[in-house]
Amino acid sequence: MKFKINRNQLIQGVQGVMKAISSRTTIPILTGVKMTVDSGGMTLTGSDSDISIERFIPAEENGEINLEVQTPGSIILQARYFSEIVKKLPDETVEIEVGERFETQMRSGASEFSLIGLDPEEYPRLPQVEEQNVFSIQGDLLKMMIRQTVFAVSTSETRPILTGVNWSLEDGQLTCVATDSHRLAQRTVKINSNATELSFRNVVIPGKSLNELSKIVEDSEELVQIVVTNNQILFKTKNTLFFSRLLDGNFPDTSKLLPGDSKTTLVLGTKELLQAIDRASLLAREGRNNVVKLVTLNENELEISSNSPEIGKVFEHVAITSMVGEELKISFNAKYMMEALKAMDCSEIKILFTGAMRPFLIEPQSGDSIKQLILPVRTY
Amino acid sequence: MGEQNQKRRIILHVDMNCFYASVECAFDPSLQGKPLAIAGDVEDRRGIVVTCSYEAREFGIKPPMPLWEAKRLCRHLLVKKPDFQKYKAMSARMFQLLREYTDLVEPVSIDEGYMELTYVKADPLFIAYDIQRRLKDELGLPSSIGVAPNKFLAKMASDMKKPMGITILRKRDIPKILWPLEVGEMHGIGKKTEHKLNEYDIFTIGDLAKEDSYAMKQRFGVNGVKMWERANGIDERKVDPDSANDYQSIGHSTTLKEDTVSQTMLSAVFSRLAESVERRLRQKQVVSSAIQIVIRYANRHTITRSKKLENPIQEKEKIYENAWQLFKKHWNGEPIRLLGVTALDLVERDSAYIQLDLFHYHEEKRREDLTKALDAIRKKYGDKAIQKGNNKKCKE
Repeated sequence: MKFKINRNQLIQGVQGVMKAISSRTTIPILTGVKMTVDSGGMTLTGSDSDISIERFIPAEENGEINLEVQTPGSIILQARYFSEIVKKLPDETVEIEVGERFETQMRSGASEFSLIGLDPEEYPRLPQVEEQNVFSIQGDLLKMMIRQTVFAVSTSETRPILTGVNWSLEDGQLTCVATDSHRLAQRTVKINSNATELSFRNVVIPGKSLNELSKIVEDSEELVQIVVTNNQILFKTKNTLFFSRLLDGNFPDTSKLLPGDSKTTLVLGTKELLQAIDRASLLAREGRNNVVKLVTLNENELEISSNSPEIGKVFEHVAITSMVGEELKISFNAKYMMEALKAMDCSEIKILFTGAMRPFLIEPQSGDSIKQLILPVRTY
Repeated sequence: MGEQNQKRRIILHVDMNCFYASVECAFDPSLQGKPLAIAGDVEDRRGIVVTCSYEAREFGIKPPMPLWEAKRLCRHLLVKKPDFQKYKAMSARMFQLLREYTDLVEPVSIDEGYMELTYVKADPLFIAYDIQRRLKDELGLPSSIGVAPNKFLAKMASDMKKPMGITILRKRDIPKILWPLEVGEMHGIGKKTEHKLNEYDIFTIGDLAKEDSYAMKQRFGVNGVKMWERANGIDERKVDPDSANDYQSIGHSTTLKEDTVSQTMLSAVFSRLAESVERRLRQKQVVSSAIQIVIRYANRHTITRSKKLENPIQEKEKIYENAWQLFKKHWNGEPIRLLGVTALDLVERDSAYIQLDLFHYHEEKRREDLTKALDAIRKKYGDKAIQKGNNKKCKE
């Protein structure tokens, strides 16, 4: 194998797949990055067996020559060293040549590296994904959906299924739900797909995969194609394939957990509430569930407070747009509330309470495409 | 530098000599001058000498020695069961006496405490003699007192002359008095740490003092720096009168009647320990957010393991459940000699919260109603008016 490549293109390509490569893996060959070149261009692959990323650099793009291939071929190089070297090479182009026993020469300007390569035949095959269930979403919307749900996944392994976000598609509507059993985040999106008959349930994507995916997808209107199979999900952008394993098991049915009625309904500014809670939580101790208290005062005001016996107290009044229903006193974890409020991308929200010992629901003032559910705390 | 202006600190460490035995002698003068041991269950293997008089020590008896061994060493040894109510009452009188000199009295345990005399005008040595004399005359209790510029040195000093000693330890005395001592003699250094220090060729406190503090940090972490500072007579800790009120942990442990691998027996032991821990959590009105267990194997190898809890607990069932889970995870199947359960991260019950769970909040609600009803009844008719039934019987 022998080829010349634009160094910037190579840097971007390698960094793209590095997100899937972990130095802590049980399969040693996965600490490497796989490169394959042919006349069409170069394919880079990285994987930690949960996530796999494949990135393509076309030989020619928009009239620019990215790489010149002399002899096609394939090689695996230690990802950590290779990516650092590429970043620091002196010239605008890099020449890479692989010998018979996978010894690899990299030349750039006056610099020359010899690296020991590995047999590309040893690399595990990427999941074979049959492209039956395909739909697509705009990149910026996909990123937003991830941001609005993934923070609520569980970090505890006691119920592994809750470490993922549950995706389901029905009647052209995609629903994403995450819960760690203390709060729940749900986002629904209409899918503009010609495949309206497409539907699936219980597709549970590990939170970690979605976080990585979010870094790769560009914040643009460009469409991301999504392919769902039994145990894998594939996200396709222009030059990148992102595969993730799906979690085994049944995600609990959360549709019945969302309260339908409300005893107290508040409408108020998202930012105002977020800032008040943020201040109150300064005195709420992490070790004691980080508790702040919300008390309705009248139709125009509520009070946020927090009290740590050995530190001090804080009280703050927050103006509200409206209040309907019973008076209410409720205590909850400030961190859950702040994360939920940050996920709401609207200036006014509606909070529906059904009692001090029951979950409450946060929705946009109009519409219900985002639902954030939080369970309160009770005194011991 | 500020150091120049700082008032030179004067700390007393008051340590009662063989406290339990001394209290018994004070109540029953016929015991005075006789070998006396305070020990747990007399007929049981668990009968261990908790403390003993100096007369008993002359026979080579020292705590924590099994009672049968102590009796072999001294046939006419007098043995009394511990009476903690009596000791607590006496301890309270002792600290009351110390507080007559300054408010800055920090009880460390039932029979020892620190006093800060930095801001007291009278001569500290005079006060020390006065305290010792009054403890003996008014309460009938012997004590040893250390006088030094910080807590660590005061503690080391009170240990030097027993019984009825008063020792002054100045910074300038450190090389002569402290440094020749074996490093294990240092307060805060246990057998394990001593052994580790020896591996680095540190045998005396002097060896430790002359080590490089950075090297100590590398080897022993923050603790290493502390040890090094202490060896050099540095200890900035304040005398804190409230420190005894922050209960950091509540634990119970028990030596088994015989070494065992029987899960039924071990589980029963954990139940009993959980019960004791619960009782004390209730007494102190605190809840715990972390549980720790101790396992000592027949070969004395000892491990401690702990876990954080999602929500604070107080009930014996939950303490047992978590302790048993930890035990099952970490027990290597070898015979066990001792088990312990400790509740950590204690928070006052009134300021503790429980995070409700999406899948179970309905049950919580019901339990809350029940607890409220029980509390109301107890408030009206007293604590014993109503109790929850035995859980096992109630299980459907």
